[in-house]
Amino acid sequence: MIKSEEKITTTQAIVIVTNFILATGILTLPRTSVEKVKTPDVWITVILGGLIMIIAAIIMVKLSQQYPGKTFYQYSQEILGIWIGRFLSILIICYFITVSGFQVRSMAEVTNFFLLESTPLWAITMPFMWIGLYLVFGGINTIARMFEIIFPITLFFFILVLFMSFKLFEIDNLRPVLGDGITPVLKGIPATILAYTGPEIMLLLVAFMQQPSKAVKVVIIGTVIPMIFYVFLVVMVIGALSIEGVVVRTWPSIDLIRSFEMSGLIFERYESILLVIWIMQIFASFVISYYAASLGLAQLFRIKFNKIGFILLPIIYIIAMSSNNINELFKLGNMIGNSMWFLFLGLPLFLLLFTKLRGAKS
Amino acid sequence: MWKTIASFLPDWLIIIQSLIIFLIPYFIWRFFIYIRERANIATIKQESENSQENTCNFTGNLNSDLKFIKKEIGHNSDVHFREFNIGNTGIHAVIIFIEGLSDKDLIDKYIMKSLMIDFSNENISAFMTEEGFNNIIKQQVLSISDVTNTQNLNDLVMKVLQGSTALYIDGSADVFILGTTKGKTRSIEEPISEALVRGPRVGFTEKLSENTAILRQQGNIKSLSFIKFQVGKRGNKDLVVAYIKDLANPDLIHEIEKRIKKIDIDYLPESGYVEQLIEDNYLSIFPQLQSTERPDRVISALMEGRVAILLDGTPFALIAPVTFSMLLQSPEDYYERWIPSTLIRLLRFLAAFIALLVPALYISFISFQPGLIPTKLAISIVGSREGVPFTVLLEALIMEVSIEILREAGLRLPKPIGPAMGIVGGLIIGEAAVNAGIVSPIMVIVVALTAISSFAIPEYNAGISLRVLRFMAMFCAAIFGLYGVILFCLFLCSHLVKLKSFGIPYASPAVPFNLNDWKDFIIRVPLMMMKRRPKMMKTKNSIRQK
Amino acid sequence: MKKNISGKLALITLQVLLLPFLTGCWSSHEIEEVSLEIGIALDKGYLSSIDKEFEEQDGGYQKNNNITITFQTVNTKGIGNNSKGGGSSEQHSYLNVSETGDSTFQIVREIPLRRDHPIIGHHLKVIIISEELASNYSIKDLLDSYLRDNDIRPSCLVLISKGRASNALETNVIGEIPSFRLTKMVENGYRSNKILPAMPLAKLTGKIQSESSFLLQNVISADGEVKLTGAAVIKGKTNKVVGFLNEEELEGITWINGKVKGGVVKSSVKGQIIAYEIKSMKSKILPHINSGDITFEIKIETEGRLSENWVNRGKPSDNKFLREIEKSIEAEIKSLMENVVQKMQNDLEVDVAGFGNKLKIKHPKVWKEVKKDDWDVTFSKLPIKYNVEVTVADYGAVSSD
Repeated sequence: MIKSEEKITTTQAIVIVTNFILATGILTLPRTSVEKVKTPDVWITVILGGLIMIIAAIIMVKLSQQYPGKTFYQYSQEILGIWIGRFLSILIICYFITVSGFQVRSMAEVTNFFLLESTPLWAITMPFMWIGLYLVFGGINTIARMFEIIFPITLFFFILVLFMSFKLFEIDNLRPVLGDGITPVLKGIPATILAYTGPEIMLLLVAFMQQPSKAVKVVIIGTVIPMIFYVFLVVMVIGALSIEGVVVRTWPSIDLIRSFEMSGLIFERYESILLVIWIMQIFASFVISYYAASLGLAQLFRIKFNKIGFILLPIIYIIAMSSNNINELFKLGNMIGNSMWFLFLGLPLFLLLFTKLRGAKS
Repeated sequence: MWKTIASFLPDWLIIIQSLIIFLIPYFIWRFFIYIRERANIATIKQESENSQENTCNFTGNLNSDLKFIKKEIGHNSDVHFREFNIGNTGIHAVIIFIEGLSDKDLIDKYIMKSLMIDFSNENISAFMTEEGFNNIIKQQVLSISDVTNTQNLNDLVMKVLQGSTALYIDGSADVFILGTTKGKTRSIEEPISEALVRGPRVGFTEKLSENTAILRQQGNIKSLSFIKFQVGKRGNKDLVVAYIKDLANPDLIHEIEKRIKKIDIDYLPESGYVEQLIEDNYLSIFPQLQSTERPDRVISALMEGRVAILLDGTPFALIAPVTFSMLLQSPEDYYERWIPSTLIRLLRFLAAFIALLVPALYISFISFQPGLIPTKLAISIVGSREGVPFTVLLEALIMEVSIEILREAGLRLPKPIGPAMGIVGGLIIGEAAVNAGIVSPIMVIVVALTAISSFAIPEYNAGISLRVLRFMAMFCAAIFGLYGVILFCLFLCSHLVKLKSFGIPYASPAVPFNLNDWKDFIIRVPLMMMKRRPKMMKTKNSIRQK
Repeated sequence: MKKNISGKLALITLQVLLLPFLTGCWSSHEIEEVSLEIGIALDKGYLSSIDKEFEEQDGGYQKNNNITITFQTVNTKGIGNNSKGGGSSEQHSYLNVSETGDSTFQIVREIPLRRDHPIIGHHLKVIIISEELASNYSIKDLLDSYLRDNDIRPSCLVLISKGRASNALETNVIGEIPSFRLTKMVENGYRSNKILPAMPLAKLTGKIQSESSFLLQNVISADGEVKLTGAAVIKGKTNKVVGFLNEEELEGITWINGKVKGGVVKSSVKGQIIAYEIKSMKSKILPHINSGDITFEIKIETEGRLSENWVNRGKPSDNKFLREIEKSIEAEIKSLMENVVQKMQNDLEVDVAGFGNKLKIKHPKVWKEVKKDDWDVTFSKLPIKYNVEVTVADYGAVSSD
């Protein structure tokens, strides 16, 4: 089945989950969540959203642990029969394809807006996807190693840059706490879910782990790290730009970093660093969802992995380009967030119960 | 209804683009597969050619065999045939040696003299059997330590050409090969390519036996093992694989042996040939074996469970497997105290970063993202670039290429004028180019900084790789600006993590993350804390000190 | 052989397909081919003689001449000459160019029609809006294109000018760049408490959207010199300038909202001048609710140094004298605050000192009720108490006169 050298360590699994989660959300989460919550208590919403995601992830892990060494694509056929299993697998493959298309497109949009104003989208997208393809060919282990490079860089610079914005921070912007009660906080949770897409990779990843028993630990740590990231981010952004300001900014996180200059240092302006680490993060998310989709197709139809990689490229590209404007792109993002509820909370729970019941019967 | 669906259908332009996005990588992929296949076909062909070898054995008849030998090497002016009779037995014998390569004193005193004059008649009785004869010559007559036998013409020729003396005694097909080699060697000197302030002043020489001796001497390690191989089909050369028996991972040694045995080439002039023939990925730009002239470096690598490959005729030993971090480390890091060593290592990483990316970043900031540099710097750059007729890329290329030319020329120049020419070239060209308005002064600073940084890297060949990559980065930056630089970094990282050197991930110990190995990566912790050998090497015995 | 052909085919296709990439560099514009805009002044529309002449020759487009924008760019030729040391250049190191129209963005894009170097906004440092314009148009609309822009950073400062805004972008000093001078001046808050904390575009967005009134630093200019004096009051509902606070009133505001980082309070004891240098201060606005009635209490604690003393025979080493000084400074601070509150409540009917915000934080439910009416109007009838405590910690290097 899976060769022992292809297996990944627990740390690598954590890093994969974290890197998958941290993506588009870094730039848009403050706005999307504030839009729904409308009070400075967004950080509570972000924590709650994370907790819900952890619960969903634990369910997925428990499900996968029932079938050691097998990915979702393999065991779903075992649980529900070949045809239903295949249907569900294809749904999930479609999900991963859409996610990777979404990531590519939002990367292209932001790059086009902030870095390369008159460069056509296709020119931005293509080399990015090709490098992704090159990495995907290396298999899960190579991907994991790449993520281990990306992760500490992100962690370091992200925190550094956010701390620099402390000059603009005003605690009054975050007060009062729970002034309108808990209802608006709860209302915002669905909006934060998109920022937390990522733990679903555990449906496949458990099969590749050296120690599958530690998978629960993996998802908890892997989700809590981005959760802390997000809380920190939301607090800093709202603290500097205030609730009213955040709502009207399309990319509030970048605006935060663009709002100050540190004169006297080599760099006065740090949005470039934020954009660099953000593009790296998007790359990570794109690669892992691309890998998940190609692995699914390869396992489902028994085609060579490399060929699937090539075939998926144009499909992802077309999905990425299907949004005609930025509103449709955000709508696509919301769709992904909404589909999470069914695909990765409802479905695994149902499958887990089904397996347990059947196990009890026999 | 149809309209809403239609609005989501992709434009025909996007379909064409999606085809392009598929075709380009697909063709690149096919292309690389094609290259690899061709390389494989070539080696297979060679193997079949070389499998037929003439094995010609001696008959025992001196006259006929001598004719054979003379036909093979007799036309050479430096090959000497000296025919004589052993003692007063009347048995005909001949010695064959090469002028200059063999020790004539040794031949005269201990071979000729003992065979012709000191040969006592008591031994004659034992001459009856062939075995007895050989034994007596070997055990009682020849006072020489290195004596072997051969019955094969090729073997004889090979040995004689290396400086041994062949002794053919009529009536015996077993020819003695006497080790009388007196090759020209130079004295042991300080390695030029890897000079250190502190550390042993010993470097390898061109002679394999001397090199192994140095290793023994330096290391004084009981379990230090040498395996000898013969490489090169036409020009036979000795190659030694050195490792420490109770440390090195047997899989690793097995893999290296396998690859060395696969070497199938006429002649190996330098260990660079070996390096290129056994490395994992010859399409990669990174050196996958480390070459060094320093025995101390080899020993400490062996102590980490690595393997060294020494080739006769070159002072450069190879160390495998190698990781990227090793290319930025110097033995001095361990000889000096840990705080300065750590800081110097950090400095080298910074230098590598500068050497790789600074011109690219400069290009992208100047021509794509002027908003990302400080206002005052932007203003002064604008002021300095006023009147420069070229685009930034071209300007950077002009300067970078001229620096590379200067460097290359500096290597060729005779030693006394080298530094002078460097100064003349660097200063005058830089200063004059700025005054002439061809390049801006800031560009000169950038280029000079990168050039110096690339020389701060202790491994010469790693420096070359970085220099080549720098040009790639510059082109990426010229197309996509900062985004291009990011893409370049992502591609480079992807390549680095994919690359393996003899089964060890090239990017280790950074990834796969291993806290224990980080003690000797970017930082160097005090020696007291380095209690274990690198985990990535999977050594047999991991404890260095208790 | 078949392999060979397919390989060559692959190579050729590769080359053909890679060709377009060599023609890339879509977004590449060398930094010296553009001019960096560092300051913008927005004025009420007026046509210069050149503009009029252009218009006579039909050089124009369909527009109303409502707004005149002056762009300040760096004159790199002047700087280049200086750095090479090629003699003393009489040139200014900045260039101002004005253009008139009605859409602020359209005006920017008129510049390439007049100058060889188009303007880029990455390094924009300051936007100055004239009072004339800001009292007729909403600041939100005036600044909209700048907030939307991807080049202009939200760190750009916004100031109001009581006179012609473009005059603030002039200087008589060779080598000085007026925009940089203004941004540096705004940072001088640690030496004077008559300067408002900097208001970059990023913070302004929130203020504009929140519908609460706020202040912007006012700058006046005369003959190439500028001065920061007082502040413009922007009414939250309309986002238009409704009035000004003078220097002393602004001082009162900074005392109320606790934004003082340093500065001087001048007072008098026995008719003689004394000056108190602020070392630290803490201010608290406490909203109180008593059976539905809102009252505010301002509590201020400050510590500082006696930096100037003209009082004859006043010995600072004497505690009694210190007490006297403290009292007088307390009274002075209180009067500063009363003065500005009186102006806010009676003349302008706005709350620009953050009383509403404090109420929102402390009593969110009450705030929700009050917010339904116009808070500015409600505020103007609320009673406010003051509580100032001054400590003179030391008296500098001279102990007695």
